[in-house]
Amino acid sequence: MSDSAPNDREPRVNPDSPSPIGLPQLTLMMLKVGATGFGLGMVGVLQQEVVTRRSWLSQEEFADGVALANLLPGPIATDVAVYVGYKLRGWRGAALSLIALLAPAFAIMVGLTIAYLRYGRAPHVQGLFAGLNAAVAALVVAVAYRIARSSLKSAAEGGLVCAAFGALLLHANLVVLMLACGVIGALLLAPQRKSET
Amino acid sequence: MINLLRVFLVCAKIGALVFGGGYVMIPFIQREVVSHYGWLTERQFVDAIALGQITPGPIMITATFIGYKVQGLAGAAAATLGIFLPSFVMTALAAGQMMRLRQNRRVAGFVRGVLPAVVAMLLAAAIAIARPVVGDWRLLLLAFAALALLVKFKVDAVYVVLGAGVVGFLLER
Repeated sequence: MSDSAPNDREPRVNPDSPSPIGLPQLTLMMLKVGATGFGLGMVGVLQQEVVTRRSWLSQEEFADGVALANLLPGPIATDVAVYVGYKLRGWRGAALSLIALLAPAFAIMVGLTIAYLRYGRAPHVQGLFAGLNAAVAALVVAVAYRIARSSLKSAAEGGLVCAAFGALLLHANLVVLMLACGVIGALLLAPQRKSET
Repeated sequence: MINLLRVFLVCAKIGALVFGGGYVMIPFIQREVVSHYGWLTERQFVDAIALGQITPGPIMITATFIGYKVQGLAGAAAATLGIFLPSFVMTALAAGQMMRLRQNRRVAGFVRGVLPAVVAMLLAAAIAIARPVVGDWRLLLLAFAALALLVKFKVDAVYVVLGAGVVGFLLER
């Protein structure tokens, strides 16, 4: 952990570089990551650009961002990008990072949506979408498996999965279900106090 | 205008709740966008996720599809802004409070409790998504092959989704 001040609200610049990293450079780098990374894979691309190639942040600082992203809602990769942007150039850096990261995806998605709404019902693409459907079903199961493997650490959590699944079969409200499980977790699953002062 | 605001708010609500990564939007979109508002059919919803996966960038860019479907380009912008705004604000606020947040055991416990709910929600969503697949043994086989590639062989989801699309296309000919 390299944060020296306990309360570093102020954006920090790279201590090794004499001048702060330019917003245009930051924006261009995020554009590149947004255009070449896919989903969670963007985290790896971002790490390559920010830590390995440019040394804008240390490995530890970057890892802190990933840990933070796992605590907060939102896609891991965009959360990490916002963290990187904020660390380097404060709110403006964070906002430009998000916009640049999303710009390529937004443009491509609008194009795909227009094409889909126009040609998606054509008979010869029905097979294509049936195949995609099979893959998406597998993908969602794979994501559930990945989250379960990395985060379910005790029988209590396994029980919580079963209880939540049962509640879903009874058409429980998703928000209520999620917050209820969160509160149960905060009360019963909070990690033991270690060296907190 | 009403629609635009509603799309923004629905997406912002989803964006504030996706603990555990972008895929967690899937059960919420299913409930809100498909079942409650009827903005997408079940079919379009699955297709939109597939398109979000083969597009570079975060999977949550699927929101752009939803917004466009409801209200054209302005809707696409409103939905995209809405779904990414909550996590943007939270992350930037928290970036300066890193130590305090990470050491807070209640926060850690909350997330530990939320993730089992997320797993259950994803599994429930998968059942609904798999419904059209189960009726066709070739698609079922394709789904299991895709699952094996994703979980066992750690193949990148982009290739699996694209490959399954190609296989489906060839099967239909």
